[in-house]
Amino acid sequence: MISAQKAFAQYIDLYKDSVGHVSVSPMLTALNRSALAALEKAVQTFRHDPMGVADVSAPEMFAPDYGVNILGVRLPVDAASSFRCGVPRLNSLLAVVANDGYYPTQNTASDLPEGLTVCSLRDVPADISVRVSEALSRNLADGGPACALNSLFLHDGVLVYARRGVKVDKAIQIVNITSVAMPVLNIRRVVVIAEDDADIKVLLCDHSQAAGVQTLDSEVVTVEVGDGARVELYDIEETLPQSRRYWQLFGRQASRSHLSVGSFALHGGRSRNEYRIDVEGDYARTELSGLSICAADRIVDNDVRLTHAGSHCTSRQLFKNALFENSKGGFAGKIVVKHGAMFTDAEQTNRNIVDGEMARMITAPQLEIYCDEVKCSHGATTGQLDERAMFYMQARGIPADEARRMLTQAFMVDVIDSITFEVLRQRLHVLVEKRLSGTAAGCDTCATACHSDLQEPV
Amino acid sequence: MSETLLKVTDLRAGIEGKEILRGINLTIRPGEVHAIMGPNGSGKSTLSGVLAGDPRFTVTGGSADFHGVDLLALSPEDRSHEGLFLSFQYPVEIPGVTMVNFMRAAVNAKRKYFNEEPMSAADFLKLMRQKRAVVELDNKLASRSVNEGFSGGEKKRNEIFQMAVLEPRLSILDETDSGLDIDALRIVAGGVNKLRSDRNATIVITHYQRLLDYIKPDFVHILYKGRIVYSGGPELALELEEKGYDWIKQQVDQNSLSEK
Amino acid sequence: MTENTDKEINAQAERPRANDELISKATSGEYKYGFVSDIDTDIIPAGLTEEVVRLISQKKGEPEWLLDFRLKAFRYWQTIEVPQWAHLDVPDIDFQAISYYAAPKKKEGPASMDEVDPALLDTFNRLGIPLEEQKVLSGMAVDAVMDSVSVKTTHRERLAELGIIFCSFSEAVREYPDLVRKYLGKVVSYRDNFYAALNSAVFSDGSFVYIPKGVRCPMELSTYFRINASGTGQFERTLIVADDDAYVSYLEGCTAPMRDENQLHAAIVEIIVEDRAEVKYSTVQNWYAGDAQGRGGVYNFVTKRGLCRGDYSKLSWTQVETGSAITWKYPSCILAGEGAVGEFYSVAVTNNYQQADTGTKMVHTGSNTRSTIVSKGISAGHSENSYRGLVKVARDAKGVRNYTQCDSLLLSDTCGAHTFPVVDVANPTAVVEHEATTSKISEQQIFYCNQRGIPTEEAVALIVNGYAKEVMNKLPMEFAVEAQKLLAITLEGSVG
Repeated sequence: MISAQKAFAQYIDLYKDSVGHVSVSPMLTALNRSALAALEKAVQTFRHDPMGVADVSAPEMFAPDYGVNILGVRLPVDAASSFRCGVPRLNSLLAVVANDGYYPTQNTASDLPEGLTVCSLRDVPADISVRVSEALSRNLADGGPACALNSLFLHDGVLVYARRGVKVDKAIQIVNITSVAMPVLNIRRVVVIAEDDADIKVLLCDHSQAAGVQTLDSEVVTVEVGDGARVELYDIEETLPQSRRYWQLFGRQASRSHLSVGSFALHGGRSRNEYRIDVEGDYARTELSGLSICAADRIVDNDVRLTHAGSHCTSRQLFKNALFENSKGGFAGKIVVKHGAMFTDAEQTNRNIVDGEMARMITAPQLEIYCDEVKCSHGATTGQLDERAMFYMQARGIPADEARRMLTQAFMVDVIDSITFEVLRQRLHVLVEKRLSGTAAGCDTCATACHSDLQEPV
Repeated sequence: MSETLLKVTDLRAGIEGKEILRGINLTIRPGEVHAIMGPNGSGKSTLSGVLAGDPRFTVTGGSADFHGVDLLALSPEDRSHEGLFLSFQYPVEIPGVTMVNFMRAAVNAKRKYFNEEPMSAADFLKLMRQKRAVVELDNKLASRSVNEGFSGGEKKRNEIFQMAVLEPRLSILDETDSGLDIDALRIVAGGVNKLRSDRNATIVITHYQRLLDYIKPDFVHILYKGRIVYSGGPELALELEEKGYDWIKQQVDQNSLSEK
Repeated sequence: MTENTDKEINAQAERPRANDELISKATSGEYKYGFVSDIDTDIIPAGLTEEVVRLISQKKGEPEWLLDFRLKAFRYWQTIEVPQWAHLDVPDIDFQAISYYAAPKKKEGPASMDEVDPALLDTFNRLGIPLEEQKVLSGMAVDAVMDSVSVKTTHRERLAELGIIFCSFSEAVREYPDLVRKYLGKVVSYRDNFYAALNSAVFSDGSFVYIPKGVRCPMELSTYFRINASGTGQFERTLIVADDDAYVSYLEGCTAPMRDENQLHAAIVEIIVEDRAEVKYSTVQNWYAGDAQGRGGVYNFVTKRGLCRGDYSKLSWTQVETGSAITWKYPSCILAGEGAVGEFYSVAVTNNYQQADTGTKMVHTGSNTRSTIVSKGISAGHSENSYRGLVKVARDAKGVRNYTQCDSLLLSDTCGAHTFPVVDVANPTAVVEHEATTSKISEQQIFYCNQRGIPTEEAVALIVNGYAKEVMNKLPMEFAVEAQKLLAITLEGSVG
């Protein structure tokens, strides 16, 4: 097992060598500076999590010698000509992040509804810059080395900002495309802030065109949900076997807020997904759900820490994994109920199917409760598809492979049905079916229509 | 008619090393209805499971010829394609799989087996509508998950509906009457009778005579301790109804004693 | 949420906790085993060096191979650090301030009851453990361990007729060296963990049980542990071997005097279960827990593990943990034989400033092995109570089944109840289920009892006993009654 010191030393050296060479915005430069100390500390205090999947721990993921775009140059990307999106016809407000650079489209560059800002983190409007800057650095201290490193090299990223009471029906879709010919570490950041009573939907789609090249995407998503506000956030991963992803979500909820996060790992290589949600206000509701379908040498490790500090809050977690062939899955889910978080109602469910001779699932559902007036439960199962159902289907003439595929799809159905965003829900039913039947990811009817009008940021 | 649909010879099978069927012999021709009766634990459900290929059971000897095909060598799905249908005593609930998807997968798998093109969506829906009428099944059930939340009667009607869609050559109705009230029983039996022809055959497995009032058998067999100990005409069922199973048990057990 | 339910909830929150007073009263239940016996004790000076290890071995007249084992363990222990991963706040322990050997002074070992120190007899009588054969419960053979040394084993002759060996560990080393050497350290290596290494270096006595092939032990075997001397630790070892088709039920009880200082108990239990054999191991752990302010109490850092290496072997752990200031203990099963069965039934009660981090490991390496885990945690006062568990299914283990249920009950708003299970499945035929709930004792239930005339204290005991029943039912009868009373005492006045 490689030490954090060793794995991250290359990046610390790289930063020290390059400091001062580039300054894209004072806000980001300040963040970079404060991240150095945070990273050095995080590396020293890093402890291997005995419950996590070791292959995707921060040191293992960051140890390879990746190139970093330290100067913030815009890499030439021909995304429009080859990229096919898996979620077409959403009629979304679309922006693209190609490698680490932000590219708005017509509707995010100029056609945004009033009160909604979608822009590069280089161009944050002055009146909200303090708020955004605070959000950016909030998890520097407790986000571990990955988050600190992300902050150290961050020179672009996306801001989604909904002002008080703004309700947007269309989803804000951010498509991340990794398109490089060499091993590169992409630094990505999304900051989502919903002021009081705002209501927005954000869809993040990860894609890769870097076939045959091992790449690492460091993605940090910060979500702040104000009083009475509502944020739905969806994350779809459709990358390649060589893709590596270290994804961190930091959520913060005020009173009466509603945060709903859905994560769908369809294709990819090795992924570590961390969810850190702090429910600070009262009467808030949190829903986290995720599914992964893994085959070959795929690894998906989800690590949730949901902290209830406010009273009368409700949280629901539902994570499902289907593991075939040599794949590996991890789920560590911790619910913390702090002293005084009265009338917390928290539930967590993790269900897994292990259906490969070399497949493996490690589950660690955890409860840490410091308040007695609570209702908390978790359930975890690891097993196989229902043998009686298999026989029943076969007895009706359905071949074993197809029966297995249908049952796996059925196993996932409640995770998909938990999506309240209807167009996406329907689309995901299809995507999951395609994933299971082995058809290539992406959408053949889509062509490139949804991002043919990529624009240089203003 | 002399053509044979199913010929079972000295069939032996068990579960977890325990022998349950100890040499079953049975011949069924097209157009016939056979009733297999017997006390609890005699092996009735094992017989239906073994014929359909239930992986819980292990065949330890004997053979089953199904219109020239070695039935026991086939996978459960191929047995289905070849025309064997089992109406389950306990239809399995499959949460998350809708009846429509389930039946479309079944119908198209069979068509593929016979090198036919998949059925168009319009034709398929038409077929579903048509067959639903056979057992007066509510069309709302189509959008629900397979058997999930169905009442006992709905489950059994759903079985007969599937039988109507798949048009089997041999149907095995395993305790189809259990848990049914008289109205449901009439509907289910009516469905079975509508589907009868001189080209297909039916095995009715039941503990009670009741179902046989509605589905008239040509032959009645009594299964006891893994063997068919009596075969006769419909009158045998009536005799059983009158006398119960005890006289059979006594007679068989005495015979086996005297054999020793 | 509708306005109405909001109001209701608020009303509920604001209602004064009517039971608080009663509950805190109940928690202060007296520890009735807290007396100190005045017994002449042979204690070696505090501190742990290679010389001390050699001295212990020499005092016990041990063979060379055992001294080697101790020295290896000691040298390994020096290279490792105190484990930090548990959800426990363990004060720094000065391992050089503890005396590693304390034995009641006696002559060459009592040949008959008359030779046993009367003060010692009295001690065990007061604990309810009579050592005189005629007084011993007819169904139970007892090995009494005072401080580090086994004092007296009862019913030896009757057991010997069946070929059963039940004696102190020291005696087993003398009388059955080949058996001890064959099994010692085979389930819990001295390299297993910090406290196992410490125990392997300095263990002074304990119990040894061997049940020969095909023998069902006709009575419960029992060891009673007692820490008496001040400034000492207790480091005993238990080794149980059940040969093919054998059966034994083994009980373990523990108490200690009330002292302001903390005392260290670091024991090892090793169990080997051969083909079709069955071992039932029950513990009622009632070490002194410290006072209501968290002063004093025993640190109970114990390594217990059984190896079900025989086909269709079975090992069942039942524990009722009510004592100790800090408990760190995970009785485990390695299920290696085909069709082996492991069980873990636990009730852990913490009150005042007690801390417990306890649970089990079920390691399935054999095919068709099954395990069941039922854990009931009850926390009151300012205590911290954690379940920690591992269910591991190895790549080659087919047809494995596990079911885990772990529930936590909170009796105050100042305590903590935590659940840290890990399930690691590497075989596609395994079915593993884990369920956990955390809840508060229901005020409605208490009210219902009150209305029927049952005082709150009694109601709490009643409800908690009901909650823990599934586990209590697994205890042998004599123990179950005792354990039930113990639960009630530990929780006296603890609902918040």
